[in-house]
Amino acid sequence: MCTAVFYPVVRYIVPPSVPEAPTSRTVAARDGELKPNEAKIFQFGNRAGILVRMPDGEYRALSASCTHLNCTVQYRGDLRQVWCACHNGLYDLQGHNVAGPPPRPLDQYQVHVANGEIVVSKV
Amino acid sequence: MRLWPLVPVLIALAGPVAPGAEPTSKRPAAPQSSCIDCHLQLDGEALEAAKRIGEDIHFQHGLSCHDCHGGNPIAGADGDIAAAHDEKKGWTGKPKRVEIPVFCARCHADAAFMKGFNPQMRVDQLSEYRTSVHGKQNAVGDPRVAVCVDCHGVHGIRTAKDPRSPVHPTRVAETCGRCHNNVDLMRGYGIPSNQYAGYKTSVHAQALYDKGDTSAPTCNDCHGSHGAAPPGMQSVVQVCGSCHGREATLFREIEKKKGLDLTPCIQCMVCHDNHAVQAPTDEMLGVGPKSTCTSCHGPGSTAYRAAEEMASALDRLKGRVVEATGLLSRAERAGIEVSADQFALRNARDQVVEARVLAHSFDRERFLAVTAEGLAVSEEGASAGRRAFRELGQRRLGLAVSLVVIFAVIVGLVLKVRRLEGRAPE
Amino acid sequence: MSDAAEVVRRLRGWIEERTGLSALVDFGREKTVPVHRHSVWYYMGGMSLFLFGIQVATGILLLLYYRPSAGEAFESVQFLMAKVPFGWLIRSIHSWSANLLVFVLCVHMFSAYFLKAYRKPRELTWLTGMALLLLALAFGFSGYLLPWNTLAFFATQVGTEVAGSLPLIGRFMLRLLRGGDQVTGGTLTRFYGMHVAVLPAMTTALLAAHLLLVQKHGMSVPPGVEAERRRTGEPPRSLPFLPNFLLHDAIGWCAALGALAGLAALFPWELGEKADLFAPAPAGIRPEWYFCWAFQTLKMLPGHVLGVEGELLAILGFGAGGLLWLLVPFIDRTPERGDRRTRVFTVVGWMVLAYLAVMTALVYIPVRS
Repeated sequence: MCTAVFYPVVRYIVPPSVPEAPTSRTVAARDGELKPNEAKIFQFGNRAGILVRMPDGEYRALSASCTHLNCTVQYRGDLRQVWCACHNGLYDLQGHNVAGPPPRPLDQYQVHVANGEIVVSKV
Repeated sequence: MRLWPLVPVLIALAGPVAPGAEPTSKRPAAPQSSCIDCHLQLDGEALEAAKRIGEDIHFQHGLSCHDCHGGNPIAGADGDIAAAHDEKKGWTGKPKRVEIPVFCARCHADAAFMKGFNPQMRVDQLSEYRTSVHGKQNAVGDPRVAVCVDCHGVHGIRTAKDPRSPVHPTRVAETCGRCHNNVDLMRGYGIPSNQYAGYKTSVHAQALYDKGDTSAPTCNDCHGSHGAAPPGMQSVVQVCGSCHGREATLFREIEKKKGLDLTPCIQCMVCHDNHAVQAPTDEMLGVGPKSTCTSCHGPGSTAYRAAEEMASALDRLKGRVVEATGLLSRAERAGIEVSADQFALRNARDQVVEARVLAHSFDRERFLAVTAEGLAVSEEGASAGRRAFRELGQRRLGLAVSLVVIFAVIVGLVLKVRRLEGRAPE
Repeated sequence: MSDAAEVVRRLRGWIEERTGLSALVDFGREKTVPVHRHSVWYYMGGMSLFLFGIQVATGILLLLYYRPSAGEAFESVQFLMAKVPFGWLIRSIHSWSANLLVFVLCVHMFSAYFLKAYRKPRELTWLTGMALLLLALAFGFSGYLLPWNTLAFFATQVGTEVAGSLPLIGRFMLRLLRGGDQVTGGTLTRFYGMHVAVLPAMTTALLAAHLLLVQKHGMSVPPGVEAERRRTGEPPRSLPFLPNFLLHDAIGWCAALGALAGLAALFPWELGEKADLFAPAPAGIRPEWYFCWAFQTLKMLPGHVLGVEGELLAILGFGAGGLLWLLVPFIDRTPERGDRRTRVFTVVGWMVLAYLAVMTALVYIPVRS
């Protein structure tokens, strides 16, 4: 019975694969996963984020929920802007809404590259 | 003793703090002008002009009465009206109503002149005006149609960016309404007078007035500012499409694809009205009581059947999304890890939005393809939710195992106690 | 003597020279527990201690993942339940055991009352026990807020509001509890500090005192049993504490553990929605069941009784009643004088129990009027 009690306790104490609730900080990608002028959608808590690797190699992370009607946005390498397919909304890489129906900019997130990981955290 | 000579001095001194004078980046010295001094002593309309001129954008840019009306601004200092109103100095007096557009255009259509004040400003207002109904009527001498001062004001003209201006986006509709709400006036031209009332009920008005969104359209955004005229039946989709790009593109595509001319349907207006544009609902699609499809397409037609199919596909999709979302949040609250599945469900919601836009393609296949994709995603979400509840069930299995162990221990203890107390009765 | 036995003997001697622990072991060996028709109630104390131990253990485990700030508390509990292996088990056990503990404590208290275990020389045991019950309720109240969900938020609001209606010190108490005028993140931090540091420290001290007193005086035999023995001349029966009574205890503890595991798996504790400070209170808010009797009384009293605010009257009533209950060892001298007037206190006890039971039930069963 001691095993029956201690087994769950030991499993509990051993840290899970993710050390903390990803509400303010998450690993969006590994370094080198994205080529310049590419992007990926990642999960940030229960929200969606978009990580863009700009042509000069720098990373930008924005909220991926369009401020118009919450569709998931995507990166357009040809325009070098973030585009929402639902109603043709456009945002620049700072997140500012520059064309179409979106009424507000996309939230910006902070990006740090550490230990080969791209860590995104809330500003 | 006459105190006249003191008045300009006083005004010059009071100029910087005169009520109504706005702080502007260009703040020239108050122009020397006896017009204002004299007119302030008068009453009625003449007084009004002098009182309000301080607020005027022209005045703030260093222009004064004589720059528009001519005459001698200095000569009248001693009260000599004839010297002030000297025709040899170009005095034109108050222009006739029908002459006002040309009167203003003397400067405003002169590109070289306007460049010195605001290089970005347009100089084609008069030529635009001439294409409008107002302009055409004005050209034949109709004094009842709008001229520049009817919309922009006179003597206290503010820029369109100033919220107090009658042509600021939040005030344009009321300005147009001053004439266009007048039933008798409009009847003379055969124009309805209910546009303003309709517009005020619309989502555009709500966005503009209630939410303060100045990007929302008012009269001049669809009808033009100076070339004011209804867009014309074949242009409705272009005009609406200047903001509602995607819907307009889809609409034009179907015209091309099916070789249709939808002009008689007056395009966007047939479902959405022109002035009283309401927020669209899913009930507008389909064959229900609030449907706009059935206003033209009767039962039995292909379009009727397609509308019915599309509406029920959309309803089904919405229902599944709600179901899956509910299932997953219940699982989350019960403590099962479902955040990745909830994330994946976003795609289904995106498909709902996409389907609503695709209603404007009137393309049954395309619409159903999107709803089918959304249904697939929400099915996945729902089965993830069911999987989560099965995991809960598995916990019960783990419980059963641990209970067996605990029960075994209890039995062991009881036996030990029996043995102990059997051996040593107190 | 074999080598192993020699080593054990030497080890024991080494420890004895330095700690003198053999006195304790001898005490334990000699300790006995009386056996009679009411001796089943003796297990309630040990059960409370066991459940308290469970609370401390699961509480410490929860501390490894919980974050006491308004912005992170709910998320950390969600994380704990969803991502940490067996996190759901630890949390559910902690919540269920808390309720079970309060229930067992009430049983322990009422059994001590009805069996008159508070008689001389055990008055201090009774007083420390009552203080421990109050601490347990404080544990429950403070712990309830920690997940920072809607239910907890409003229950705390109502509860601190009631504290605020005390005469004279009410306003001060409300501000002290809430860490301000409203229930905010500051309240959460304060309750967390109470729950994991202040209350455990006080409980440790009082529990040590309570247990020492129990060891000193042994188990009390109810007056009825004593009188019976005097009449029949039967010799008192007893059970050795080690190993018999402890083994019986262990059976009870295992059963309790099984019950907790069952409750955690079959009726897991829900997390609900995150607290929204600006949302209106949802309908049907009520505190945890062990405060429901007070809640129901406050609801049922009219706004004003004889010119005094109904709420105030209720609180003063609770205070007076509680004080009398606390001081019952000093009020009830009847067992010394003979057992006829003892009945009064027993009857009062049953009335109090009935009142608490009915008031609690009324909160859960809507009365059709």
